Amino acid sequence: MERPVKGAGRIARLALLTAIALTIFMAEAQIPALTTVPGVKLGLANIVTVYIVFSMGPGDALLVLSGRVFLGAVFSGQPMTLIYSAAGGFLSWCTLILLRKLLTRDQIWLASPVAAVFHNLGQLLAAAAVLRSWAVMAYLPYLIIAAVIAGLFTGIAAQALIRRLDKLKK
Amino acid sequence: MKVKVILLLLLGAVAASAAWLLFRDGSTPSPTARITRDGVLLEEINLNQVDAPRSFVLEDESGSNTVAVEKGRIRVSEADCPDQVCVNQGWISSEAVPIVCLPHKLMIEIVNGGGGLDGAAG
Repeated sequence: MERPVKGAGRIARLALLTAIALTIFMAEAQIPALTTVPGVKLGLANIVTVYIVFSMGPGDALLVLSGRVFLGAVFSGQPMTLIYSAAGGFLSWCTLILLRKLLTRDQIWLASPVAAVFHNLGQLLAAAAVLRSWAVMAYLPYLIIAAVIAGLFTGIAAQALIRRLDKLKK
Repeated sequence: MKVKVILLLLLGAVAASAAWLLFRDGSTPSPTARITRDGVLLEEINLNQVDAPRSFVLEDESGSNTVAVEKGRIRVSEADCPDQVCVNQGWISSEAVPIVCLPHKLMIEIVNGGGGLDGAAG
């Protein structure tokens, strides 16, 4: 854990991280869908979320996550997706806070697949609530498998990022 | 230790999902498409009784979807949403997964059953 940055420095840092996360999110949105199953994607922007949760703190992570989710929905022109992203994002954020207490700094990569599974679960629950039907749960097995694979990928990326940034600070 | 437990849980979830996908019964002898918006039933079509392919537009203030039906299968052929998830899903013909259009709160699921019996439900 690094020394907390306060005041204008913190705001500037959060703004910068939000911009990075949003840029990754928008760039990823340009990649054609890998499968026809809705909701399957890499979720590269979550590298930023994982980094903030483990290096700065859950509060900062929630601020950046909400900013990215809201702006992402605005820029992609699909306000309805806000509900699903917010539900998934919040549930995965809760998972990350729990895992933060459990995992050491070398095990951060493992947090991402677990959080990804809960992200997709949160999205499906939101979809079930909007559509008022449990039929969407038919997607759950696809989304669990996709979440574990994508989560491992982003987790390893986040771990590499944190290792390098820690080295820079020494 | 913790790492092993978490990895095992993840592996278990993946294995359970794979088993669920492999072993679920996808056969639907009498496929009936139920189209709902916001949980309200709009149309119910017995897909085996569709003789000629046809399509129709479902519209409300959130947008429109064009639904195409053929004997035994159904799809969304056009939608005015930006993501086109429902269109890209293509034809469905079994209970396996429903077609969902989240922006328009529209869902097309296939159930096994007679059809035409739900007239009283509306």
